[in-house]
Amino acid sequence: MIHYRGVYKAFDIPVLTGVDLQVEAGEMFALFGPSGTGKSVLLKTTLSLIVPDRGDVEVDGMSVYFGPVSNIEKIRRKIGYVFQHAALFDSLNVFENVAMGLPEDELARTPRKEVARRVWDALEIVNLEPREILSKLPSELSGGMKKRVGIARAIVGRPQILLWDEPTTGLDPINTAAVERLIKRLSGDLEVTSLLVTHDVEGGLQICDRVAMLHSGTLRFCGTPEEFRNSPDNVVRAFVDRAAAAAALDMAVT
Amino acid sequence: MALPLSNVVTGWFAKIGRSYRVTLDHAGGLGKLTWDSAVAIVSLKVRFRDVLNQMYIMGIQSLPIVFVTASLAGIVTSQQGGYQLISSSPGYVLGTLVVQSVVLELGPLLTAIVLVGRIGARITAELGTMVVSEQIDAFKSLGRDPVAILAAPRIVAGILTMPLLVGFADLVGIYAGMQMASLDVGLAPERFFYGARLFWHNWDLFYGFSKSIVFGFVIPLISVHMGLRTRGGAEGVGLQTTQAVMFMILTILILDAMFPPLLLQ
Ligand SMILES: Nc1ncnc2c1ncn2[C@@H]1O[C@H](COP(=O)(O)OP(=O)(O)OP(=O)(O)O)[C@@H](O)[C@H]1O
Ligand SMILES: [Mg+2]
Repeated sequence: MIHYRGVYKAFDIPVLTGVDLQVEAGEMFALFGPSGTGKSVLLKTTLSLIVPDRGDVEVDGMSVYFGPVSNIEKIRRKIGYVFQHAALFDSLNVFENVAMGLPEDELARTPRKEVARRVWDALEIVNLEPREILSKLPSELSGGMKKRVGIARAIVGRPQILLWDEPTTGLDPINTAAVERLIKRLSGDLEVTSLLVTHDVEGGLQICDRVAMLHSGTLRFCGTPEEFRNSPDNVVRAFVDRAAAAAALDMAVT
Repeated sequence: MALPLSNVVTGWFAKIGRSYRVTLDHAGGLGKLTWDSAVAIVSLKVRFRDVLNQMYIMGIQSLPIVFVTASLAGIVTSQQGGYQLISSSPGYVLGTLVVQSVVLELGPLLTAIVLVGRIGARITAELGTMVVSEQIDAFKSLGRDPVAILAAPRIVAGILTMPLLVGFADLVGIYAGMQMASLDVGLAPERFFYGARLFWHNWDLFYGFSKSIVFGFVIPLISVHMGLRTRGGAEGVGLQTTQAVMFMILTILILDAMFPPLLLQ
């Protein structure tokens, strides 16, 4: 369970102006919002990668900002984070990148063969051919491949919670479907909690239990996909219509 | 028309206040980085392999440029000294001059300046790129400590490598100066070393050695600190690297000026 409480963050100008949001355990939750509204910033406050000016985040009852420092360590261990731009380590090859997804102590005591097997499996899950790319450096991969290696790195340690920052942006329809299936399977079989930031509104509405929309620094909407589609709120309606139009255009092009 | 003037004055005070705050801010950041690195080292979180790798980059790969710089320093000192001393002093004084200049000043200082350009700029750009491409965030999200992985190995390697490089620079500089003295004013090597020994104190070696350790600590410390504070994209990395180089050169020159009153009494 993740609980955001009045999260406030300003850089030069306020980005998040008090966000309250609760994501239940085992839930698949989608967060929408126009570009630049602070979706990535909100996700990063969960792991203390960005420290909010006010407010707190609680993960499974542990406070990130008002608890003991060791909470942050525990919380980071529970959570897998899929970065918007993959954030692979330049100097490490694909194998080493994905293996970094295992916690340090676990990596030290797991036999190398077992590590190799888990890395291999994680890459296959995201539809990559391990044999071909294991020894490649990130600079030798395409954008979509990097993204999927980033996903493999986030899931290899079998986290209980996954934060997905636009995992499907820049992927072709086949891989988008594969990633959506993966998110669904993880929450279905393994009861992983997923918080998904995405611009693919239709996809998010289809796979998630609840959705929310961030707009000008606060939550404009929070509810079921059904409620979202039928929301009387003009801002939400405009967003849904624009997303539908964009999706239609996308379909026409491909 | 009084308003603009008061604006200028308040603006001036605001500027002083700001640079005061910036200085304190940097001092705090450097202190914290030093402390965190020390903690990482003491708790054995720093991998020996990372340190060795950094020592290779800083040490072995810097040998050619240090060689060139040190030889030129020795040659120039010898030539200038020869020109100034030729008529007034015995020739062997040139040996004293070259050895003292190289060991006390030129060896440590020039090697440090070269390393600022070769290593300091590289570290800031490298870590800055890791910040803007979220690799540092990725390390943290995976429960790794960027200080233990990135900062501490570079600082340890700097402290260990710099004295070795300075020792190398001293030998090269002295040898080049000696050759030049023999070419230029016909001073035989025995006379050169006679002059060098005549005014030699073992303390001088310790003095140069202390300098090299301080510089070897300061260069990676500042460059890591600046790199980790990078903001913005590629432009931010460029800007931060330039500022880091300025910061390092100024710090080194100031520290260099503080050495004589502290250790040469
Ligand atoms: N580290 C930072 N320093 C300064 N400003 C930042 C930082 N991170 C984010 N911002 C600012 O915060 C705002 C929100 O950024 P954020 O990346 O969260 O947007 P987003 O909702 O994820 O957008 P997108 O859909 O394009 O990814 C932007 O205006 C951005 O410039
Ligand atoms: Mg984003």
